[in-house]
Amino acid sequence: MNRVILLLAISVLSGSLLAQESPRTKKAPHVRIIQGPKIELARQNLTIIRWTTNNPGGDPVHYGIVHYGTSPGKLLETAQSPIRLDPDHASAVFRVRLDNLKTRTTYYYRVDSIEASGERDGLTSGLSHFSTP
Amino acid sequence: MKCRTLVAVALGSVCGFALWASIYSPQVSAQTNESPKPVYNPYPKGILPPDLNSEIARVLREVDLVESRAITRWHNLKPPILTGQPPVLKNTGTEATETLGELMMFDKHISPDKNQACASCHMPYAGFSGPIPSVNLTMIAYPGTVHFRAGKRTAQRHTYSPFFPVLQYNQEDNLFFGGNFWDSRSTGYLLRSPDAQQAQGPPVDTQEMGFPDTACVAFRLAHAVYRPLFEEIWGKGSLDINFPSETEQICATPGGAAVFKGNTTPVPLSPSDRTLANTAYDHWGQSIASYQQSVQVSAFSSKFDAFLVGKYTMTADELAGFKLFNGKGNCNSCHVDGRGTNLTQGQIDTSNTAQVNPLFTCFGSANEGVPLNPRDAFYYQDKPDPYGFTPNPYGFGYVDLGLGGFLRSGFGSAPNPNASWRKLAPTVDGQMQVATARNAALAPTQCSTTEAPGPYFQKEFFHNGYMKSLKQLVHFYNTRDKYAYPVLSGHCPAGTTEKVDCWPVPEVPNNVDMTTGNLGLTDEEENQIVKFLETLSDGFTRPYRNRDTFTGACMKGGSAATQGNEFLIPTPPLPPCASAICGVAPVPNPPIRPPLSE
Repeated sequence: MNRVILLLAISVLSGSLLAQESPRTKKAPHVRIIQGPKIELARQNLTIIRWTTNNPGGDPVHYGIVHYGTSPGKLLETAQSPIRLDPDHASAVFRVRLDNLKTRTTYYYRVDSIEASGERDGLTSGLSHFSTP
Repeated sequence: MKCRTLVAVALGSVCGFALWASIYSPQVSAQTNESPKPVYNPYPKGILPPDLNSEIARVLREVDLVESRAITRWHNLKPPILTGQPPVLKNTGTEATETLGELMMFDKHISPDKNQACASCHMPYAGFSGPIPSVNLTMIAYPGTVHFRAGKRTAQRHTYSPFFPVLQYNQEDNLFFGGNFWDSRSTGYLLRSPDAQQAQGPPVDTQEMGFPDTACVAFRLAHAVYRPLFEEIWGKGSLDINFPSETEQICATPGGAAVFKGNTTPVPLSPSDRTLANTAYDHWGQSIASYQQSVQVSAFSSKFDAFLVGKYTMTADELAGFKLFNGKGNCNSCHVDGRGTNLTQGQIDTSNTAQVNPLFTCFGSANEGVPLNPRDAFYYQDKPDPYGFTPNPYGFGYVDLGLGGFLRSGFGSAPNPNASWRKLAPTVDGQMQVATARNAALAPTQCSTTEAPGPYFQKEFFHNGYMKSLKQLVHFYNTRDKYAYPVLSGHCPAGTTEKVDCWPVPEVPNNVDMTTGNLGLTDEEENQIVKFLETLSDGFTRPYRNRDTFTGACMKGGSAATQGNEFLIPTPPLPPCASAICGVAPVPNPPIRPPLSE
């Protein structure tokens, strides 16, 4: 009986019985890129950049961010797209949409990610580039 | 003189209608048991389905059947005993309250023309979503008491809707949770039940049940055959309201009529009678919420529920679909199934079920990037109807911003009761409520599935009904980005097939959720997820009440992948987003469909 009460208390304290909260993963001390970034799709109207990190944890929704531009020293544009973390996944796939890029143009970019709160995950990425069709 | 007879209460718009009718020749005429009513038909040919009148009549017969069953059950119910302190309706109070809610929900008198019940758009055999296959295929929004004003979105399944919490912005998760309706506008802030507040919407929605005043609900309840049950539950005298003699005439006139001059409380009541009417209206919402939360509606009687307690063994395909649902498909990151997740093939799930009865929703909202559906009847209602009311003055300039529209108290939504949320609107533009996956596949007994080749019952999915089968829905999540084309619906390039290897651009490009869109599922894996979704339909462990009432025809033939594609129409050139929608601060960022000069 005491064990049941203890489990119930743990559940309540951890929030699993509170309908207004999504399941969360403990915030990872270090977030690193496991795979990518790479160009998943490159069309005239839409480019998607994809990368995988370890599960950053924290807020259930994170934003992948791409800083980009046509000069490697001037990444003045920013695109961001939300993803929803699954707390039980070891990794998280970030995918960001870049709409309406110029055709036949080379773009340089770096990727980053933030929690829904705006707090950075602390990701570091090198400079990459791609060309639109 | 004839004009005045036709529309006795809408005096100002009568002769205008004669001129209007000569301009807009209706393809479908209104048919009721009473005197002919003026018909509103601003639609191009082919938007309204040709069988609309007969299908509305069919559903009304079914509604009456369920109502008669509920009346019988009420009469056979042993009255509860009011006792205790605080007083409780002992023994049968729960069933009495739920039965009252059912009687209300299937009562067609709760509309000006006494021709529309809540259930007209939410029948049990469709999982309490839209009951007319041809509407689901074409206009997607359901016609209301005024034929043919129509809403703007699909009739949302309301099984399990009472389990959604009061809308909250969780400052730890930085997310909205809860509310009811696609845009979460029924926050539940006052009644503390979003579902009860939701039930208060349609009776006074101009394009749905259409009363001009909430007091009209109390007025019709005061004349309902089940008034004794209402008073038994909510107290003697709860409907003793001094309605003036003109109340019937006022309540027989649809909301939005020019004759009301914008007055939303045209029934003249004393302050004390207005309070009584308001309280009765709260009880209306609470009673219906009670019914919707009952085991007759939110039944937890699916194969999956039996599986959880070891009383059902899933087939190989269902089990494979379940593993994909919380694995490669990543469906359970939003449609929470209460279990852990296995991304690695062969990994054994050792996690526990977090809830005994998982609801398959996170109670949140997301913009899945669904394309604009040009068949949505709302876009065409940009001219005044015979009552002088224009449902959508912006035509195709209307953009459905979902939760973002509500936070701005925007057009087509409701006033936002929490000013601190407004600044968050740009972060949630385009987001719609994450519906429970339960009962998405529920269909009438004789049709058994929603998927072609059937025999199947034609449903519609997502807020704008763009998807016509669960196969398409899963395929969309799987390939939305893989087959993305810079086109609008109806304009996929030659050599491609819309919904198969061509997905048009999102209606709202902002905040598109990228958790899905390129999942790498095979065709077989998509089908297995559909098979799993079908295990979530109630009615396996015991019969689902009133699922047997469908008297229409099942459909046959074709393929689930292209189901309904024969009804695709080309989206017209889109005007800029109306300033009354996209120009309301804080404006969408980046701008949505800005004027060309920007």
